[in-house]
Amino acid sequence: MPPLGTSEIVFGVLAAFTPVWIAVALLFVVSFAFQRRLSLYGRLFETGPGLVGVFICAFWLFTALMADLVAPHGPLEVFASVGKNKVPGTIGPEGEMFLLGTDKLARDVFSRMVYGSQIVMVIAPAATLFAFMVGVTLGLPAGYFGGRTDTVLSFLANLVLAFPVILLFYLLVTPGIRETAVPQVMSGVFFLFPIIFFATLFYTRFKERPQLLAIQLGVVAILGGWIYSSLVFNADPFGLLSLEPNELNIFVAVVFASSPGVFRIVRGLTLDISTRDYVAAAQTRGEGPWYIMLWEILPNARGPLIVDACLRIGYTTILLGTLGYFGLGLIPESPDWGTSIKEASQLLRLYAHPALPPAIALMSFVLGLNLLADALREQSLKD
Amino acid sequence: MLDEKPEEAGAAAATEAPLLEIDNLYISFFTRAGEIPAVMDFSCKVMPGEAMGLVGESGCGKSTVALGIMQDLGKNGRIVGGSIKFHGRDLCLMTEAELRSLRGSAISMVYQEPMASLNPGMKIGKQLTEVPIIHEGISEADAEKRALQLLDAVRLPDPARVMGSYPHQISGGQQQRIVIAMALLSKPELLLMDEPTTALDVTVEAGIVDLVKDLGKEFGASMLFISHNLGLVLETCDRITVMYSGEAVETGEIKTVFDNMRHPYTQGLFRSIPLPGADKNARPLIAIPGQLPLPHQRPTGCNFGPRCDHFVDGVCNKADFKMQPAGDTPDHWSRCLRIGEIDWTAEPEHQTGGEKVDVGDVVLKIDGLKKYYEVSANKMFGGGETRTVKANESINLEAREAETVAIVGESGCGKSTLAKVLLGLETSTEGEVTLGNLEIGELEVQKRDPKTVGSVQMVFQNPFDTLNPSHTVGSQIIRTLEKFGVGSSQEERRERMLELLDLVKLPRAFEHRMPRQLSGGQKQRIGVARAFAGGPKVVVADEPVSALDVSVQAAVTELLMDIQRESRTTMLFISHDLSIVRYIADRVVVMYLGHIVESGTTDQVFAPPYHPYTEALLSAVPIADTKVKKKRIVLEGDIPSAVNPPSGCVFQTRCPRKQDAPEGGKICEREAPPVKTMDSGHTVKCHLADEILKRMDPVIALA
Repeated sequence: MPPLGTSEIVFGVLAAFTPVWIAVALLFVVSFAFQRRLSLYGRLFETGPGLVGVFICAFWLFTALMADLVAPHGPLEVFASVGKNKVPGTIGPEGEMFLLGTDKLARDVFSRMVYGSQIVMVIAPAATLFAFMVGVTLGLPAGYFGGRTDTVLSFLANLVLAFPVILLFYLLVTPGIRETAVPQVMSGVFFLFPIIFFATLFYTRFKERPQLLAIQLGVVAILGGWIYSSLVFNADPFGLLSLEPNELNIFVAVVFASSPGVFRIVRGLTLDISTRDYVAAAQTRGEGPWYIMLWEILPNARGPLIVDACLRIGYTTILLGTLGYFGLGLIPESPDWGTSIKEASQLLRLYAHPALPPAIALMSFVLGLNLLADALREQSLKD
Repeated sequence: MLDEKPEEAGAAAATEAPLLEIDNLYISFFTRAGEIPAVMDFSCKVMPGEAMGLVGESGCGKSTVALGIMQDLGKNGRIVGGSIKFHGRDLCLMTEAELRSLRGSAISMVYQEPMASLNPGMKIGKQLTEVPIIHEGISEADAEKRALQLLDAVRLPDPARVMGSYPHQISGGQQQRIVIAMALLSKPELLLMDEPTTALDVTVEAGIVDLVKDLGKEFGASMLFISHNLGLVLETCDRITVMYSGEAVETGEIKTVFDNMRHPYTQGLFRSIPLPGADKNARPLIAIPGQLPLPHQRPTGCNFGPRCDHFVDGVCNKADFKMQPAGDTPDHWSRCLRIGEIDWTAEPEHQTGGEKVDVGDVVLKIDGLKKYYEVSANKMFGGGETRTVKANESINLEAREAETVAIVGESGCGKSTLAKVLLGLETSTEGEVTLGNLEIGELEVQKRDPKTVGSVQMVFQNPFDTLNPSHTVGSQIIRTLEKFGVGSSQEERRERMLELLDLVKLPRAFEHRMPRQLSGGQKQRIGVARAFAGGPKVVVADEPVSALDVSVQAAVTELLMDIQRESRTTMLFISHDLSIVRYIADRVVVMYLGHIVESGTTDQVFAPPYHPYTEALLSAVPIADTKVKKKRIVLEGDIPSAVNPPSGCVFQTRCPRKQDAPEGGKICEREAPPVKTMDSGHTVKCHLADEILKRMDPVIALA
């Protein structure tokens, strides 16, 4: 059967994304309808970059969520009968369409790109979230107490920042180290931070109200313990959450590399906000230092932190791509965008089509996040 | 330039053409919400050599007028009507290039924040010489010579050294002098000054004011002096324009406007500032009711109508109207339709100020308090030399129940450190602080029990900073109650919070408001409510009204005093503004560089004998009353650093009476002065002989 023409390919791809279009359209309709009540998020829709940023990010988010509906084939399905490195628009013997062609192992490029978004969408935001937990929990005391606490923590942060990231990753994923307890210990430490964070958060605020506090601490202990056991020891009693040892390594490495950056931002913001009168007012009514950090300072640092989170998810996405490209961490047949680009790069001079879709996907997602961050910054300054 | 403008320029002004003529100016800002008019129907004339004062509260459009003259309204501001003529040429019709050649040469501007006006990365010499090099194309050597001359003219010590320094290496007062010198470098004909002294200390401000007045005469430049301080305008300007909500409401010769004001707003302003003669019991301040209308909610007709006592429905709100001649002198105009009908000399109806409160027992006793800070040069490795900042040095103070004790001094005098020790944010290095019969000087706030914490509280200076922008007003007060151990359940505390809102005269609906939805005065009321939440014995008020607008100041001051009177709380009122101190305080303590230099009852401190510093401080405060005659004492130099205080008497480096002391002032450099008791309870820390102190003339006299 003759391959499809260019316009048929374009329409085919657009049509394949139909469920995503519907979801994005719904999101936009709802957002516009309640724009006035959505404060900062609502105001994103007033600027060009904000609109485009929200659109791109929502597009990839929904693609990841509905990958099974969008992708015509499985990410690891091999079509030996169709052949390797087939051009975009190829139609298989049984009428299957390969909108963006097949790769060097005769897998559907389009489907792999769609499924690749799932990996990015899980690891990048989650790793950023954990990096924020670590950075916030350490950056607040460094900025608030200053002195020796600050000196020691800042020195450690600088040490990590000064260490070449790629080398660090190579070290973390070399089989020798992977088999030791190092990654597990590191993850054990990192994943402890959210539990400490939330427990302190509730304790400082509600310690005068024991009943409420007991409920909150109970929820933190149960949720935190469940996530902790399933991620660190891969022993989820419910069997819902699991993380491959490879993925855990990657995850830990990314958290490790990006938390010093968060630490420095939080420390700087804390230094600034600590001089405000409302912090002095809290001190004069006898509040403890952790209450002041978590309830007086942190909420007022949220603006710059949200912007930084957007940018950092973008960096993490690129970092994941880079790691995939070096073949670090994830299994070789993983459909994530970095690994796909690496796989395709070996035959790049002969066949460019398997490399382009994941590259464009990666680029567009990071661009969307950067636009979103820009718009957030601009809109939050307008108040 | 010096010869171009003859001395009698001011006198001949009537026949001359005006230098600057603003005619029916309308300026609007265009935002997402639509057009917001900032200035409406504004007209004003500035003659050559004349100083025009532009007075009004924040948001009245006075700075916008200045920016309009500079044609620098940003990308969303635009002049939508009227004209601004400079030398008869309309600035609005000029091209960018023409404007550029005027800005900084014929018209120059001095801004409020000196540090923000200077480039921190460039040496001062370079920034100064740039101006004439660009505008007049003179050589670098000539420019440098001119810069040195001007630094001399603005009375900077050691101009050559200053030329080679970076802005952060010199003090705020010196920075502002440099900014003024820079504005004068290219011999401007018109100088726009936007609150040039607001960021400075009073004694430094007095120096700048002196300078500005002389410069007008010396250089013959005209001035547009923007300020919210009526006293300052009286001292510096020939004519005044009062603005309210985007409009000029009254304009005229300064003496005419001050003595025969013909607009209710102007009158309201004067009644809400503590002039000599105001008394908290017999003649309390009268605040202007209501609030400044938002720019898009201005009423038809008179903008001041809704807040005016003389408002007549159907007259004042019928249609917008123009300025009317006030009648008495040709140049006096007012935007009031009822000039002829209002009895301008009528005494205002004073609310009952309340009786004089009898003070009770001693509540707070500070004995020989010292507070030193150790500053080490190197944090990381601990080494390096450690230096000691002596923030407080042997402070002795007593405050009784229901008494208001004012602590007066300029920045760096140690008054905030004293407050911190009282509140337990710092612990004393030496000495005793006793509250009731509890020693609290060495007790950090976290180690105090909730009752003690609640019994010493503070009202903060900056209303925009005193409330956490992320929490609702109600939850912040409830949290405070929780910390003070008031009430046993959340419902009880909420009820108490609502009562507190009533106490500070705010609607109960404010419970759910976020701080950003409140005006400055309202925020400060919440600050007061929070301080009084735990039934305090002592409230430290750190300049509680200095950041507020004049008309709001009076309301908050009265509120604070009412609550204090009711609850018989001791108040420590920290301030540098002696007018308000004279009005509010029972006793006054004057501090300089960590020492108490004078203390006594308010009458004792404000009348001779004075400590030389008190004398200078009193003379530095601008008073908005033409009948007041003041002695002028301008202190030389800046406050020395507390790291390295002068030997002997801390004030000796700036003391204008040093040579009168024994041994021609040598003793001041050698020995710390003794504390002399002049009258019962009146102490002065000075080497001057008693008869010299007693011979002093009063600084302020009513003519």
